[in-house]
Amino acid sequence: MSDNGLSRRQYLSTVGGTAVAVSLAGCFGGGGGDGGATEITAGTAPGFPPFEMKQDGELVGFDIDLLEAVVDETDYTLAGWEEFEFKSLIPALTNENIDVVAAGMTINDERDETIDFTDPYYSSNQAIVVREDGDFSPESMSDLSGRPVGAQKGTTGESTVQSELIEPGNLDESNYNSYGNYVLAVEDLQNGNIDAVVIDEPVAQTFAAQRPVTIAFTYETGENFGFGVREGDDEFTQALNDGLSAVRDGNTYQDLTNKWFGQQ
Amino acid sequence: MPPLPLQSDWAFVAGNLDLLLAGTGVTVGLTAASILLGFLLGFPAGAVEVYGRGPLKRAVETAGVVLRGTPLLVIIILLFFGLSVSSSAFVTATIALGLRSAAYQSQIFRGALQSVDEGQLEAARAVGMGRLQAIRSVVVPQALRRSVPGFQNEFTIVLKDTSIAIVIGLGELLTVGQNLYQGGQSTAALEIFLTVSLIYFVLTFVTNRSLDYVDDRFSIPGGERA
Repeated sequence: MSDNGLSRRQYLSTVGGTAVAVSLAGCFGGGGGDGGATEITAGTAPGFPPFEMKQDGELVGFDIDLLEAVVDETDYTLAGWEEFEFKSLIPALTNENIDVVAAGMTINDERDETIDFTDPYYSSNQAIVVREDGDFSPESMSDLSGRPVGAQKGTTGESTVQSELIEPGNLDESNYNSYGNYVLAVEDLQNGNIDAVVIDEPVAQTFAAQRPVTIAFTYETGENFGFGVREGDDEFTQALNDGLSAVRDGNTYQDLTNKWFGQQ
Repeated sequence: MPPLPLQSDWAFVAGNLDLLLAGTGVTVGLTAASILLGFLLGFPAGAVEVYGRGPLKRAVETAGVVLRGTPLLVIIILLFFGLSVSSSAFVTATIALGLRSAAYQSQIFRGALQSVDEGQLEAARAVGMGRLQAIRSVVVPQALRRSVPGFQNEFTIVLKDTSIAIVIGLGELLTVGQNLYQGGQSTAALEIFLTVSLIYFVLTFVTNRSLDYVDDRFSIPGGERA
């Protein structure tokens, strides 16, 4: 559903082109906005439990609570949340629709070229999820050879499948199924159309708690999630980093991980 | 292969029907506003393409070709993130859908206007009407009647294409549906898709029936049926 007919390449060039246009517009606009206006708007992409999702029409999740706690520690106030599709978040940030992204976004070089990140606030590895009652229980990436495997389009799970399985020749391209979102991938796993799904570990734990699926093993990728901020917004980035360490030093961070991930 | 998990989660859908209906409200509002904008721009554009000449005609034709040839997703993304026509996702989506619909509607009306026999215009002129008055009083009323079937199609297209507004986060029907099953509480993906499809179907069916009624009501008495 979130796949709306554009290939990844077309999409990137469209959005990339837009981003260039927007940055140029920013130069002419005089930008800044440091005139005492300290209200900020946050953006997220619901559908990534337990980091952000909609429950009974309300936006909830770990990222939501954490960012609100972090902003509370700064001189800024949070005006509200805007919801986008995940892939629209970076254009929304560069275009000043939002001021900060809190969406379980992995810090990577590609994104770092367009936007800045705060210090990491969560580390995630990839989990390999299989059916609970199935007889397939892989222990390493090489065990996935020749099995139909799924992941969500555009995520680090997909990158892991690409770099660890397809590129080394351990998995045929045709054995990889790409989904618009995790839920459909897990649904297909339950239906028996694929044998494993590669997803972020905390998300996998949520699925394992609620559905007849289980984590076979985890693959260490050393991914870090960070809040996304506009490039050059250094004062704000520093404030968020200070807020983050204040939240980590107190009990808040621990309370929130307990609340959203169970005991960790 | 095990059967599809159809039995489980209808209660979840029922419990969240109020959210789905709120999303339906946004969808209906977005469709109505877009169709209206499309009509206000598309009808004159169609008329210009039939009766206009010179630079105005060429400009309208070019705009139509560009809008019809650009994917709606690209139009929405450019208007929101590129030109930033409005900070409101609803307004931006209305403009994007409205412009695209205007380009389609202009062709519906162009075809309808051209379908009215040339002799009618000549006859109207012969009884002393001016060109503009002849078009307005003789050609347009007939053309509007003949454009109803094409307009029914256009309505259906706009209604379903409102779902593309999900890319700028607008909380219309499909977005609400996706948010529900992605919320981590439910496995009801299939049930929600079926419910959302049913709502789209009801909206399309009711509107098409209403337009059928309009078509019958205003058909030319005793004359040829459009």
